[in-house]
Amino acid sequence: MSEHQERILLIEDEKAMSDAVKLRLEANGFSVLTAYDGQTGLATARKERPDLIILDVMLPKLDGFMVCRMLKFDEKYRNIPVLLLTARTQQTDVQQGEEMGADAYMTKPFKSEELLARIRALLSGENKKAEA
Amino acid sequence: MNSEKQLIIHDIREKIYWAIRMRYVIVVLGLILLPFAFFSNVQLGPLPYLLGFVLAYNLAAHLICLTKRRFEWVWQTLFLQSLFLIFDILTVTFFIYISGGLESPYWFFYLVLIIISGFGVYSYTSFSVFLIAVFSAAFYLGLLVLTYYGIIPTYGPTFSLSPQELLRSIINKAVFTTISFFLFAATIYYFSKLIVQHRYELAKKNQELLGTLEELKEIDRLKDDFVTTASHELRTPLSVVRENVSLIEDGVIGQTSDKQKELLKVSRLNIDRLAGILDSLLDISKIESRSLELKREKVNFSLLAARAVEILSSRAAEKKIVLKLDVPDRLETLADPDQILRVFINLIDNAIKYTPEGGRVEIGLFSEGSRIKGCVTDNGLGIVQADLKKIFERFVRLESEQTALIKGTGLGLSICLGILEMHGGSIWAESKGAGQGSTFIFTVPKVEA
Repeated sequence: MSEHQERILLIEDEKAMSDAVKLRLEANGFSVLTAYDGQTGLATARKERPDLIILDVMLPKLDGFMVCRMLKFDEKYRNIPVLLLTARTQQTDVQQGEEMGADAYMTKPFKSEELLARIRALLSGENKKAEA
Repeated sequence: MNSEKQLIIHDIREKIYWAIRMRYVIVVLGLILLPFAFFSNVQLGPLPYLLGFVLAYNLAAHLICLTKRRFEWVWQTLFLQSLFLIFDILTVTFFIYISGGLESPYWFFYLVLIIISGFGVYSYTSFSVFLIAVFSAAFYLGLLVLTYYGIIPTYGPTFSLSPQELLRSIINKAVFTTISFFLFAATIYYFSKLIVQHRYELAKKNQELLGTLEELKEIDRLKDDFVTTASHELRTPLSVVRENVSLIEDGVIGQTSDKQKELLKVSRLNIDRLAGILDSLLDISKIESRSLELKREKVNFSLLAARAVEILSSRAAEKKIVLKLDVPDRLETLADPDQILRVFINLIDNAIKYTPEGGRVEIGLFSEGSRIKGCVTDNGLGIVQADLKKIFERFVRLESEQTALIKGTGLGLSICLGILEMHGGSIWAESKGAGQGSTFIFTVPKVEA
């Protein structure tokens, strides 16, 4: 069991939302990187290789679906779990999320306990894959 | 050259080609019938020359059409058309001449030309029927006059009539045919005008409908956009507030006193309530604007009922209400699982809300012929007869002493109704009256995959 603090990349353009989630995650022992648009988010993901990415869908410059797709269709970054966190609840959005390879889809507003539980599940699943 | 002119020219060209083909057919027919012409009164001698003449100008017409691929003006094409038209009239006249002249029964061929032109083969405006009538009358009269004065030899039977009687006969014939040509032309003109008018109106109506269709598609798209945008715009600030409240409540921002935690908890719960109302509102708007997309999957209704019971079990436990599930192992059809789950949750939740402590809610499912029937029965507050239909309307909540404390938006049942109708099913309520409990029954048609 590694002691290294797990790093989460949070890509969300609504700053208030980003700050709130960052606080919550840091209070739960995660280290958080932030980006406020799709392009920066994608670049940061590639450079920093976080352990998990939380991604809003409606982003300027490059929308969340595209960012997800570009990461998932690239062998080097495919293993990073992606959690889509969004206010868009249309059936088509959920479907698109699945098609783009997202590992989880959560709608806002969310219960923070649920978010944390999902994050932990995705990370431990990842660890299991890495150890296997 | 504007496109309308193009269309007209194209139209006339089509008609010229049609006439050319018709003439080839007539020439061929003429050749075939040549031997039989012997038995009618047609003079055989000139007949081949006549056919040759028709073939000649038809080939000329064909050649002109092939070589002059682009006609410059409408008038050029019309001129060409009229030219060949006159040749046709000439042909008919000649045929009449060699088949008896004055006595020939074939003068009705002029009428055939009038009919064809009336329905647009020869012309672009139906007014040309009169043109044909004039030329036909003129040529026919010319034929009569020339025969009378002996300028051209008669081929027909010789008359045993006196000159005055002959003249009278000629005048009669002339008047008769001229009047009938014009009457005929007028009738054809009127009818073809009607048809053209009708076609034009039809085309216009078509255009209008297409325009309306485009508009409606646009509105539909805007509505979809609205639902998506509204959803996003409303949820975003809501989630920010909820998160911030939750952060303070959980002591992440610093120590919070118990009293503060209490207030923050209430705030958080109310935000959740707001989010729920928002969901209902967006759903009802989607259902009503028909922009709700239904999934079509094989769904086990029993499983969904069980899930709904599981989700609501803690709420029922709070009020010490017993939830009894009486369903077969498998009851399947094509449906949208999320929406059907919604229906179950709404109905069971309502039952729990409107039943006092220690009550009982029963959920049943059966297969009834070609449909699935579900019912949720409670022994709670009941519904009076007058309200049984009303409760399915939007924002309608029953008002009474007992219901005053029950929270709700009044949208749950209308959402259920919308979902069931979209599945082709129905839903209704039954109750023996106030204080006698109620049963909500819904049906969904069974659909094979």
